[in-house]
Amino acid sequence: MRLLKLTLHHIRRSPFQSAIAFITVFICFFILNFFLLINRGLSSVLNHFETKPEITIFLKDGLDQAKVESIQKELASFPEIKEIRYISKEKALSLYKDMNKDNPLLTEMVTASILPASFEISAFNPKVLEDISQSFSTKKDIVDEIIYQKDVIESLLSWTKVIRQSGLVLIGVSIFIAFIMIFTLIGMKINNRKDEIKISRLLGASKFYVKRPFLLEGIIYGFFGSLFGFILSFLIIYNLRTVINGFFQPIVFVSELSLFEPLLLAIEVLIGIIIGLSASWMGARRYIKW
Amino acid sequence: MEIVFEKVTKNYGPINVFQDLDLKIAPGDFVFVTGPSGSGKTTLIKLILNQIKPSGGDVLINGVAINHLRSKSEIDKIRRKIGVVFQDYQLINDLTIEENIALNLDIVNYPQNKIPSRIDEVIKMVKLQHRHFLFPSQLSGGELQRACLARALSIEPEVILADEPTGNLDVANAWNLLKIFKDINKKLKTTIIMTTHNPDFVDSLNEKVIKLGKTEHETA
Repeated sequence: MRLLKLTLHHIRRSPFQSAIAFITVFICFFILNFFLLINRGLSSVLNHFETKPEITIFLKDGLDQAKVESIQKELASFPEIKEIRYISKEKALSLYKDMNKDNPLLTEMVTASILPASFEISAFNPKVLEDISQSFSTKKDIVDEIIYQKDVIESLLSWTKVIRQSGLVLIGVSIFIAFIMIFTLIGMKINNRKDEIKISRLLGASKFYVKRPFLLEGIIYGFFGSLFGFILSFLIIYNLRTVINGFFQPIVFVSELSLFEPLLLAIEVLIGIIIGLSASWMGARRYIKW
Repeated sequence: MEIVFEKVTKNYGPINVFQDLDLKIAPGDFVFVTGPSGSGKTTLIKLILNQIKPSGGDVLINGVAINHLRSKSEIDKIRRKIGVVFQDYQLINDLTIEENIALNLDIVNYPQNKIPSRIDEVIKMVKLQHRHFLFPSQLSGGELQRACLARALSIEPEVILADEPTGNLDVANAWNLLKIFKDINKKLKTTIIMTTHNPDFVDSLNEKVIKLGKTEHETA
């Protein structure tokens, strides 16, 4: 209790230094948590595409019914096929009109003849889709275009990778800044209180005894900085959840509350405490020489 | 606590402060350390506190040569048995007098629930009632010195080292403080080692005297 009282006394005696240390840790964990929640959403996007492997083969115009049926048979001969859907020109027009029902200008001039017929194939194993893509890409006489989601996933993956790497660098830099800030501020506070430390040492205080208030001070910055950093970033993202999820529909970018959030909070607060403690411990070790 | 100096020599660079100083202070003694400025009175206090090491010889506390102790925790343990009253008070300015005393009690692991009552006791002993909630900057020199003594007394020390405690006080306050020291020595049997260059104090109490000089050192 006396230790806590003394530590709070130290914090009150230099409020601006203390505020800087707190804000630095707060910003660090705001960025960290914001990034983690975005990363979770990106994983949902990737997962959405990865778990729904599909390929679309657009056919050339003028193919007769027999030819279409033979293509369908050939597709069905591949293993682990989940579903094969034939979209005729008429069906394609109907889908197109349905998609653009709010914009009559886009549908007025379009007829079934200008839209290609296509096959939409989904599979249990994405590897099969790759085989189909390779097999049909050589059949230029019947195939107009192949859209394979692997390309979409690869593009998403490369973007996600860039975002994740940038996030990691940002987190690393902000953690480093928070660490250096606490380390330096503890050093300054030790220097400001060197007479008090020297007196305590003369009265028989051990080195650990005089370090304790500074260590606890670091822990307090880490604890409250990480806690409030989490809470603010969490509140922002969850308040914008409807808008964000509407944008990514049908993918759930920001998921419902679960055990994940309290667990994440506990881990982040623990990391905050470790950062605060290690920075203040190194600061105390470096600057307490008496 | 028995304090023995065995052929202690102390040099600061080329300046020799002591040469082969021998002395023995028994438990319960009241000892004045006198001598002119620069004769080594404060050095003697610092040697007992192990703040500095002798250049030669040994400083023994209860038979242990403390200048050879390598463990800092052993040195801290010895310091926790010694109360110190400094000429310049050495109170922590942004703590109140009772907080200063409480800090010292906390350092020596005094039971937390007994700290408030112990503070009351020592405050009464040095007659600082109604002043204990003030900060050092709000007290007079005499009050500060008594506050410093209260802090030293609070830990129930075996020895009190007082380095020129009356140096900054007017005559009346100095005599009051000396009386308090004498009472403590008489009632609690606490060893008192007091440095002073006031011959009137030394003569008035008829106690053991260690005279330090620049050229020769004699012990009483």
